[in-house]
Amino acid sequence: MAASKEELLGKLSDCVLDMEDEEVTGVAEEYIENGYEAFDGIMNGLVDGMNKASDLYDQEEYFVTDLLLCSDAMYAGLDVLRPHLPEETQDEKPRAVIGVVEGDTHDIGKNLVKIMMETAGFEMHDLGRDVPLDQFVEKAKETDASLVLMSTLMTTTMMGMPEVIKKLEEAGIRDKVKVMVGGSPISRKFADDIGADGYSANAVEAVKVAKKLMGMEA
Amino acid sequence: MTEKERLFRVIAGQSVDRPPCICPGGMMNMITTDVMDLAGVFWPEAHTDAEMMAALAAAGYENGCFENVGVPFCMTVEAEMLGAEVTMGTGIYEPHVTGYAINSVEEWRNLKPANLESGRVQTVIQAIRLLKARNLPAPVIGNLTGPISTASSLMEPVDFYKQLRKKNKEAHEFMNFVTEQMIHFVRMQLEAGADIIAVSDPSGTGEILGPRMFEEFAVKYLNQIVEAVHQENKPVIIHICGQMKNVYPQLRQLKSDVLSFDSIVPMSEARKNLPNRVLMGNVSTYALEFGNPEKIIKLTEHCVKNGSNIVSPACGLGTRSPLKNIQTMVSYLKGTASAGEQVKETKEA
Repeated sequence: MAASKEELLGKLSDCVLDMEDEEVTGVAEEYIENGYEAFDGIMNGLVDGMNKASDLYDQEEYFVTDLLLCSDAMYAGLDVLRPHLPEETQDEKPRAVIGVVEGDTHDIGKNLVKIMMETAGFEMHDLGRDVPLDQFVEKAKETDASLVLMSTLMTTTMMGMPEVIKKLEEAGIRDKVKVMVGGSPISRKFADDIGADGYSANAVEAVKVAKKLMGMEA
Repeated sequence: MTEKERLFRVIAGQSVDRPPCICPGGMMNMITTDVMDLAGVFWPEAHTDAEMMAALAAAGYENGCFENVGVPFCMTVEAEMLGAEVTMGTGIYEPHVTGYAINSVEEWRNLKPANLESGRVQTVIQAIRLLKARNLPAPVIGNLTGPISTASSLMEPVDFYKQLRKKNKEAHEFMNFVTEQMIHFVRMQLEAGADIIAVSDPSGTGEILGPRMFEEFAVKYLNQIVEAVHQENKPVIIHICGQMKNVYPQLRQLKSDVLSFDSIVPMSEARKNLPNRVLMGNVSTYALEFGNPEKIIKLTEHCVKNGSNIVSPACGLGTRSPLKNIQTMVSYLKGTASAGEQVKETKEA
């Protein structure tokens, strides 16, 4: 007898939560073969598992390495399910530009924020690291983004952030984008002082802040 | 009591007139644009020239910023000596890694043993010799980037962290190789005259790894370096970034003489959890860059009151931190004046 939809959704979620990046492919294939909807498989299976992993991260049961492995499993599952999404469910997602500011190549935090934002349904444009400040502005214009996220792990490079904000003003798009900053030397006070719209101490919180800034339900 | 005697007495658990104030170098950068102006020596040139490096390190001490000298001013010498591509940065941005040497932990076998006889390894070694030859009353600190931070500068860090678990055996082989190479470098620093070694491992944090992996990968290899330095009868400072609250039992296994934390860790919490350890820290580098001397005095006072044995910035200094803010930590510790008077004194100086 074919596995029920609920059963397979639970398995997809568990594969992500348990970091089973190989097993998840088989489960996702079985789910599609049984004719169940790809969209539900993503939202109630894979993303559900990733959200459970975030909860464990919040509770300090999971750490950054765990979330990275969970996200591997999620992306492996997405590779199977995404091609089966009907065109019309591929809604317009809010677009965000993300990068590590010039002078710094530490991007573990940025990568994690990107993963969690993708899980939450944002379309992420990743500039990578050591990003020349003008590129944040250019990419925001090019993609018509509504969010710009910057991070750095170094005290020496954090002053690039207010420069990007100034450049967004000069380009006349400051009122179109919300700016979020993060990284270990960054504090809420620093974010306020430089005129950023949002600050978060970690990747899970970043999603909540981004949703709030976008007026999406958190 | 010279600055060196004071620091060594604190490390040995002996009484001192007041806490010392140091900033080791390496990841814990102590160079600012003000110090570069005073020395007439600038980044990025000073990263590749031993005389410039020594002169700049000495300038921080001579101008009353810190009670030590230390080199280098970045955390990329180790990754570069093992094959990563590094840019020397600019006048305000530190050198940083721009290209990796390998794609996966098992490729560690493709890494060549470090060339210790040329390049920036020798710049650092010569700079230590030059500083030693100055015979300063202050300690010479040699800096080393920690094993996890070095290993994760040789390949994509996201892959590295995942492979610690997924390719556990190969990850350990890779870490063994990296640690071995670093021990060669640290021994050369000691031979050249370093009085103390400071190891900073910002990428090997409890927040990223969690307690189990922190013990398996951070504590294990850091301790191998500590043991190598202890064989030469020299003390070791270890600086780790991020929250510590999940990893205090693992921190207790670290055999370093001094533990240093960033400003996210309340000194009172660290003191409570590590009652018998020599602790260093942790004046906010944000306050040092954007605050004023009054604020710095309060923070310094607070650190000492809550159990810091050695006052230091919580992280590397922002290069644009004003000189008078930096000088305030030392001048406050030296003076007996009240906070208000101390500020006046600093302003007049």
